[in-house]
Amino acid sequence: MSDSQGRTPSAVTFHGSWIDFAKIALPNVLLTLVTLGIYRFWATTRERNYLWSKTRFIDEPLEWTGTGMELFIGFIMVLFLLGVPFAILQLVAQGMIFQGQVAIAAILVITMVLAIYYLTGVAYFRTLRYRLSRTYWRGIRGGSDDQGLTYGFSYIWKNFAAAIPLFLLYPWASISLWNERWNLMSFGPYRFESNARWTDLMKRYLLFYLVPFLIFAGIFIAGVSAGMSGGGGGNPFDSAGGIAAFTLIIVGVLAMYILVPIAALMYYSKFFRVAVGGLRLGDLEFEFKARSPDWILYWLGNIAIMGLAYGFAFAPFSAFVFASPEQFAQKIEAGETFMTAGFIISALIAIIPLAFAASIIRYRAWKFFAVHMEAYGEVNLDHLTQSETEVSSHGEGLLDAFDVGAM
Amino acid sequence: MPTFFDAWHFDGKSAVRRKVEVQTVGNQFYLAELERRHGPFAFADLEYAGEQGDASVYKMGGNDGWRLGLVGNVPTELVPHLPAKKTYGGWIDRLGIGPASAVFAIVSAAVVAVVLFSPQWLAPLIPASVETKIGDALIGDFGGRFCSTPKGKAALAKLTNALDADPRDLQVEVANIDMINAVALPGRKVILFNGLVSQAKSPDEVAGVLAHEIGHVREKHVMQGMLRQMGLAVVLGGFDGNGGSTLNGLLSTTYTRESEREADDHSLKALKSASVSPIATADFFRRLSAMDGSAQMREGKERAMASYTSSHPLSDERRKLFENSVIKGKAYRPILSSDEWTELKTMCAQDRKVKSGWGFDFE
Repeated sequence: MSDSQGRTPSAVTFHGSWIDFAKIALPNVLLTLVTLGIYRFWATTRERNYLWSKTRFIDEPLEWTGTGMELFIGFIMVLFLLGVPFAILQLVAQGMIFQGQVAIAAILVITMVLAIYYLTGVAYFRTLRYRLSRTYWRGIRGGSDDQGLTYGFSYIWKNFAAAIPLFLLYPWASISLWNERWNLMSFGPYRFESNARWTDLMKRYLLFYLVPFLIFAGIFIAGVSAGMSGGGGGNPFDSAGGIAAFTLIIVGVLAMYILVPIAALMYYSKFFRVAVGGLRLGDLEFEFKARSPDWILYWLGNIAIMGLAYGFAFAPFSAFVFASPEQFAQKIEAGETFMTAGFIISALIAIIPLAFAASIIRYRAWKFFAVHMEAYGEVNLDHLTQSETEVSSHGEGLLDAFDVGAM
Repeated sequence: MPTFFDAWHFDGKSAVRRKVEVQTVGNQFYLAELERRHGPFAFADLEYAGEQGDASVYKMGGNDGWRLGLVGNVPTELVPHLPAKKTYGGWIDRLGIGPASAVFAIVSAAVVAVVLFSPQWLAPLIPASVETKIGDALIGDFGGRFCSTPKGKAALAKLTNALDADPRDLQVEVANIDMINAVALPGRKVILFNGLVSQAKSPDEVAGVLAHEIGHVREKHVMQGMLRQMGLAVVLGGFDGNGGSTLNGLLSTTYTRESEREADDHSLKALKSASVSPIATADFFRRLSAMDGSAQMREGKERAMASYTSSHPLSDERRKLFENSVIKGKAYRPILSSDEWTELKTMCAQDRKVKSGWGFDFE
């Protein structure tokens, strides 16, 4: 028995609606707020339950089986195993500086930074492993038997090596780490194979790398020639050329804020096409179809959502402060508890739109990936048997601790 | 008596989807295909796994990937055997989201209140010896940066004795660091930075600042602040990243502003009993407010925001407080003679052994 449906319109489809998602996200925000943030682990799980269940691979939906409790346990473990020792080390280092032992303090701090860098690498690895091991399709899950400890070292040295030639080898580091990570992952009985080639990325990377220089050089040349054509010294605003040069500088600064992010998105777009395109699982090949314009629209959408959220977040503040700024200032300085309480409550209320917007952005991110993901080939259902990989029980504690929550 | 019901099933061993019928036998059930029958399984081992399309999905403890999907309305005979559905998680589903939120909000408010208020009575319970040890561990001899000349130290002691009823347990030092600042640290240590002493226009000014820091020590603000900070860090640790630290900052600066006010009150009282005029300290705050810009923020939004975000009351406000405390016609006298003042002011310059700065060349 085998299903070969590689020729259907798309192997990965998304059927969610953001209104249904909002019905999950809003209670999540409320509960997270009243539990001083502790509910967020359960909130994450509910979000993923929804997103996964609305994503179909070929004919069956995905299923997320992670639990809030295991994320919470991971968080607590990291807090005590890493957070507390690091906090103590930091205090010791500060004490050393106070007492003039600057050299020892510097060694302590450098060791700490290296350790954090190493653990960040391990965290990236273990997050992918955790997510695969909690993702089921037709009752089958993924995972890895590797702990990611070696990967942590690769993460340090590859990023370090990439930085030596002025960060020019960054595409090599990221693709080679991507390959290393995915080659250790599996789904069911099949190992992932990842053979993405970093050289395919170089043109886009150089574009991104050179954009700031090009803008700068462009303005300089245009500015100088404009200034020259205007002729005459003295006040630059006296000549048309001088005004043109001045305008150019403003245009240039704006260009920095628009062109640099666009160049970064163009690189990102290429990165995902190359990286996902290099992936195989059994007879399956993958493709990521989003092109630069898709990424730019996606990014603009996120900016609009965040902008809106900030508007809502500051509304209660503004109502509070702008109603009567002078009175407000006096009351605060007199230390009136009523005003202080009001201020803190408006700060709490400000969290609601921001947290909700962050949820919606996670929804958009997932949808963006699901919609543009494509797979080709055959899945033999009889041969797709259960994964034998070990399952860790502590969620994403490490990643959570370093706050590097990627996709 | 077996019941039949349309369902789908994954056995967790392969990805094959099976169309099955549920056959109930007491507390157990079989899943029957056309030619095969799986089971028996115990209803007690079933766990709710969410909804999928129009099906309710169940998994089975200990059987990785085992799934049973019951499509449409579940027949009434089967309902009592199935585990309850979950939406938010155990406690919340049992209470309902409204009551559960209310309970959580009350508990959270109580926890935050305990963390904010308990340091006031916890701090005095910490033995002086422990506090001294913490202070020594943190500061030590400040890396040899404490200035010392016999006459300078004598002037400093005179200043301290005038401002505190029983200064024997205080350690007051001038550190050879060019910053206009002073700090009170655990272990009843007060450190005046040399920048503050050397730019001061009069000893009365230094007295006002020193009395303020002694106020922090006497009102137990230092340990209270440490305990409160640690407590808030733990309690708000559940929020990720910026949210938690912003709230922590807002809550703790509210408290530090109050502590600063208390210390200012203490300072005014100490100055009064030492017959030192607060006008010099007011003048110090006038210069400070010119630097931090609070003198220009006469009113409006800017001032409102600044008074919230800063850990101290605005310098301009403090200037007024000290200015208004001057009693007309009172016989004030300078706290140090001009010789003593010169010795104190130049103590760091005279001390040849003292180390300077922070030990690295940032300045």
